[in-house]
Amino acid sequence: MEEYAREPCPWRIVDDCGGAFTMGAIGGGIFQAIKGFRNSPVGVNHRLRGSLTAIKTRAPQLGGSFAVWGGLFSMIDCSMVRMRGKEDPWNSITSGALTGAILAARNGPVAMVGSAAMGGILLALIEGAGILLTRFASTQFPNGPQLSEDPSQLQPPPFSD
Amino acid sequence: LPASLGRGCLGRWLLATRGWALLGTGTGTGSCSCLRWRHQPPLLIRTARQSIGTQAGGLKAAKPGGDSKDVSVQRALNEETLVSAAQKVKEAGRDFTYFIVVLVGIGVTGGLFYVIFKELFSSSSPNKIYGDALEKCRSHPEIIGVFGDSIKGYGEATRRGRRQHVSHIEYVKDGLKHMRLKFYIEGTESGKQGTVHVEVKENLETGRFEVRYIFVDVETYPRRTIVIEDNR
Repeated sequence: MEEYAREPCPWRIVDDCGGAFTMGAIGGGIFQAIKGFRNSPVGVNHRLRGSLTAIKTRAPQLGGSFAVWGGLFSMIDCSMVRMRGKEDPWNSITSGALTGAILAARNGPVAMVGSAAMGGILLALIEGAGILLTRFASTQFPNGPQLSEDPSQLQPPPFSD
Repeated sequence: LPASLGRGCLGRWLLATRGWALLGTGTGTGSCSCLRWRHQPPLLIRTARQSIGTQAGGLKAAKPGGDSKDVSVQRALNEETLVSAAQKVKEAGRDFTYFIVVLVGIGVTGGLFYVIFKELFSSSSPNKIYGDALEKCRSHPEIIGVFGDSIKGYGEATRRGRRQHVSHIEYVKDGLKHMRLKFYIEGTESGKQGTVHVEVKENLETGRFEVRYIFVDVETYPRRTIVIEDNR
């Protein structure tokens, strides 16, 4: 239960970075295994060695670029939460746009704008999917508390007005 | 420029206007430049002949190419009529499947965009109500007195630690829609925590939600309740 008592934000960056690296490495590993298998000379030994070489070379690269994306996104997200003081879907969308822009900075301002638009749209879609999932999960439990009265913390309503 | 070249050299100035640049800077008197000219013309005439020659060769070469192009177009037309009906049906089926896939993709994307727009921009979304209530909390003097100047707000914690989801319940009472929200605020300096309860009621004339009450439960030892707004 200790992890709920501490602030998620600074630790979330490490979490997201590591999670993104794992996703990229596993996905890249599977993809490169198949690709290396197919692009090798005939013979199972050759093919297995080819796919192993491909995995060893390419999968960490893909994992690394995913980790950069995830770590940068989480850093900008936490900074926005700290600045604005509230947690919103707007934070995620703006963080996605800024991450896309920063990672395309080498290719000039026009490429930055395009990359920012793509990052923002991608994160808006992910946020929409997340909201849908939470709404769907909450409607699975139809019995909420029966609310016919106002809570007891409020004083009885004033009779004037 | 032609005037400076002198009368004898006028005859060839048309050919030499290009060669003029080859001569470089610094033209002396008119006679001097004419002398220089006399050495240039053979070179110029040779290059001119070469360019005209290549143009003619190009024109000649274009013709058989053009003929072969006509022939190949005719052959393609003949081949098309030989494509069997079965292949046409297969291609049509494949195009149809791709079309359905594209439609499904557009539908899903459009649905997600609609959800996120409604959540962020419509005034009756829980997120908007949470934002307005947080602003009201931030400007209330009693809250500032308890929590300090900078107040941050957040909702329920999901598994990953992101706290964007604000817990809310919608219900209908007396034919009007009500919504109850609950979120948490925390003073960053004092470290005190509080729970904010908001209820809004739908106003049928304007179609928007109006606040019914907002109050804050402060987590101090003698539990304190600060009522921000009460419009019942």
